[in-house]
Amino acid sequence: MTGIFPLSSRTTKQALTYLILGIVTTFILLPEVWLLVTSLKRNTEYLSPQLTFLPAVPQWANYAQVFTMIPFFNYVRNSLVLGASFTTLCVMSSSLAGYAFARIQAPGKNLLFSIVIALLMIPAIVTVIPQFVIFSQLGLTGTYWPWVLWGIGGSSFHIFLFRQFFMAFPRELEEAAELDGCSPFRVFLEIFLPNAQPVLATSAILNFMWVWSDWFNPLIFLSDANTTLAVKLNYAYVTPQGQQLTPVVLAACVLYVLAPVAMFFFGQKYILQGVVTTGLKG
Amino acid sequence: MAIHLPRVQKRRPVCAQQRAANEQARKGMSPRARRQARAFYLFISPWLLGFIFLSIVPLLVGLLISFSNYDGLNLMEVKFVGLRNYTRAFGDTETQYALQRTALWTLLNTPLWLAISFGLAILMNQNVKGRGFFRTVFYLPSAVPVVATVWIWRIYLDKNYGLVNGLLGLIRPGTALPWLTDYALQSLTAISLWTGLGSGMVIFLAGLQGIPTELEEAARIDGANGWQVWRHVTLPLMTPVLFFQLVLAIISSLQAYVVPMLISPGSGNGLNNLPPRGVYLYMIHTFQQIFVFRRFGYGIALLWLLFILIIALTFIVFRTQRYWVYYETELEEKKA
Repeated sequence: MTGIFPLSSRTTKQALTYLILGIVTTFILLPEVWLLVTSLKRNTEYLSPQLTFLPAVPQWANYAQVFTMIPFFNYVRNSLVLGASFTTLCVMSSSLAGYAFARIQAPGKNLLFSIVIALLMIPAIVTVIPQFVIFSQLGLTGTYWPWVLWGIGGSSFHIFLFRQFFMAFPRELEEAAELDGCSPFRVFLEIFLPNAQPVLATSAILNFMWVWSDWFNPLIFLSDANTTLAVKLNYAYVTPQGQQLTPVVLAACVLYVLAPVAMFFFGQKYILQGVVTTGLKG
Repeated sequence: MAIHLPRVQKRRPVCAQQRAANEQARKGMSPRARRQARAFYLFISPWLLGFIFLSIVPLLVGLLISFSNYDGLNLMEVKFVGLRNYTRAFGDTETQYALQRTALWTLLNTPLWLAISFGLAILMNQNVKGRGFFRTVFYLPSAVPVVATVWIWRIYLDKNYGLVNGLLGLIRPGTALPWLTDYALQSLTAISLWTGLGSGMVIFLAGLQGIPTELEEAARIDGANGWQVWRHVTLPLMTPVLFFQLVLAIISSLQAYVVPMLISPGSGNGLNNLPPRGVYLYMIHTFQQIFVFRRFGYGIALLWLLFILIIALTFIVFRTQRYWVYYETELEEKKA
């Protein structure tokens, strides 16, 4: 792809390309840099009418306050427990269903698969409020059961992801195994799953990041005592006099963001692959 | 990294297989087919149970509630009020206002996101040095959880202490533009672009890289210049991706609520705070009805109306496909 721009000089075009990429990079990175810088300011420095760009003295104590003002690790643990249990169940359920849709013939399969696709389109907002009503009648609000049930139910997005992946396997694989008298479950478990590490990683990372980042569901389904970090850090760092300690909140945000950002850096290949194969936004 | 395009061609073998399977079912299934069918339903059973109990049942329960005066507590003496919740929505000026804001926001967000992320993908598809670096940077905000995103932008755009006003103050001292309140819709758009450009770019880039180079080379040999190749070869081949992205952008814009809900500086912790009027979007209005006024019936009726609106819009956009979306297989079908 060359020559989209009706510009004569090659160098002008290149300069323009890098200029635009530079502008967008600034647009993306500047708010992040400002977060890091501000998380190291004194609260009075942050609230001073005269804007300072860098903290006079970096306040590492803000990061200590993140842990002393609230039991930070309790909320980290809550997020981890929810994330791990949902992720495990959802990956299991979605990979089973995705495999079935890709490799096993049965009457009614096409109809069921069109339901999977339709569910991709049905917004979760239509079901979440009735779910909230049902779960609260059953006494499941304030517990982690909703996440367990959602995990067992799997996700259309991930079923689709697994199906696309398993479709690409050669047919001879399961034919040979079937001749040897393997049951379909053993074929799945011993032949397909060990070769599915990339898609398993993609699915696990995306699921975990979803739970870790989710703000709305823990807010309405959980109570203040057992909620996740996402909900808690948004309002926790307030002095007894009711003053918001913004730099401490920001320090907490930096720590909170570390997990998904680290996952993104290590699992970048898998995440991008997942986003692209399903053609959906992360 | 092949992108999944909704191609007619790909579906055909599956249909043929399925037809054979149905034929087989009618004749009475072979033991092998029966074993397969049993395995299939066993494998999908967790999902199927989830579909029944976490989608179908809530949809029906929601539908029932939307015809009632349920307020979250009056389960024993709940009354059915017919279509009153639905007719109420049409007379509610607040609903109309929220719908207008949502329409404006969708019209602002969708084209900007499509154009900029497509433009970025085109730039990145050239021989760019440091492509990996740029891709990582652009995609990074997608990994930032929404609560952190909101805090990042709160302090960045703050009227008194934010960096943007601070930098503007270097040029015009004393600048204190109320970005998060009076210009909330513009700020929301900036936040949404910040979050979404990366994933949009990645998908467009994969689409561009999936275009066979022979096509572009052939056009060039035929004497087409750069612009003509782009306009008559590359762009038509990208329309399926554009179409798919357009549908997704519309659907997600209509449902936006977390960022606008948390955007204003003093907004506390949750669902009962009122965002600036500029971003009083449809979903915000709906959650106000449910979580502040405890009008579950009315709120769920509003959700159903949004659902219907989304389906109708999607349907309309799908109908426009034949005028601008190019599928390779159409030509082959005409020939056959």
